[in-house]
Amino acid sequence: MTWTNFLQSLYDSAVGSGIRESGVLFPSIESIHVLMATTVVGSIAIVDLRLIGYASHRRGARQLILDLLPFTWAAFALAAVTGSLLFTSNAVGYAANTQFLSKMCLLVLAGINMAIFHMTAYRRIGEWDDALPPPRSARIAGATSLTLWIAIVFLGRWIGFTVQ
Amino acid sequence: MSLHDFSGALYTTPISTWIRETAGVIPTTQSIHILAIAVVVGSALVTDLRLAGVLAIDETPQTVVRRYLPWMWAAIAVLLATGATLVVAEPNRVLANSLFWIKMVLVVLAFVLTLLFRYPYLHPQFQHEHPRWAGLAKPMAWVSLLVWIAVIFCGRWIAYAI
Repeated sequence: MTWTNFLQSLYDSAVGSGIRESGVLFPSIESIHVLMATTVVGSIAIVDLRLIGYASHRRGARQLILDLLPFTWAAFALAAVTGSLLFTSNAVGYAANTQFLSKMCLLVLAGINMAIFHMTAYRRIGEWDDALPPPRSARIAGATSLTLWIAIVFLGRWIGFTVQ
Repeated sequence: MSLHDFSGALYTTPISTWIRETAGVIPTTQSIHILAIAVVVGSALVTDLRLAGVLAIDETPQTVVRRYLPWMWAAIAVLLATGATLVVAEPNRVLANSLFWIKMVLVVLAFVLTLLFRYPYLHPQFQHEHPRWAGLAKPMAWVSLLVWIAVIFCGRWIAYAI
């Protein structure tokens, strides 16, 4: 099965055509996607700003991350599920859309940035937990993450205007 | 002048035409609008869950409110400015839409709840443990969170409702 055939079979599937042909399913799923995406970005931005050096609602960076991570992950999981459903409804169109493909690339980059942070600065968080500003590697991770997520929101909104 | 006439007149103004017909203005405005929503959601999530007694309960409510309320006000200002831009661009599509007016009522409600149940914490002598206040502040924190969620749903649905 080629990639094009796979996309076409998603498009033709009961889920894909059901979402596409119902008047209310697409906007409903999209609303949940927007709510979850804003929860992801809002909670990540709080952590990113702390990593950059803005004081947060608690001094310790580690506890702040632990406070917010469950919300970020739960919202991200729901955003991924709703996003996949929206994709299925027009798989061929989204897969050919530059904004969509760029958004997926930036999501991967955001994941890599987070993984690097967890393998480097986060391992030594005991040394800089209460420090303001945090060490350079944490500040770079925070600024990179914030930039990527702002770009992801822009690209996400832009998909709706450009998808065929 | 009826609302319909007003929409029609607004639609023909140069500024409305410019926003509508300049490539990229509406998507950019909407993207900034969504980013500001993310700021509201992040701020409301932490503040409301703290006041509901669920999150960060080892920190005082004052600390949490002081951290997030300025961001909340700034985000609301950005939301009003970008939202107004979108209304000017397509007044007939928005002003005749009942979901838009439901959203506006909910926005006012969220704003009043924020003013009544967040703003007092900025006062240094504020007694948040007072039983009459505490009994009201907790449920109102949940109401506030639900109102913001309803606002987001209405916002996305405006694009689909007739």
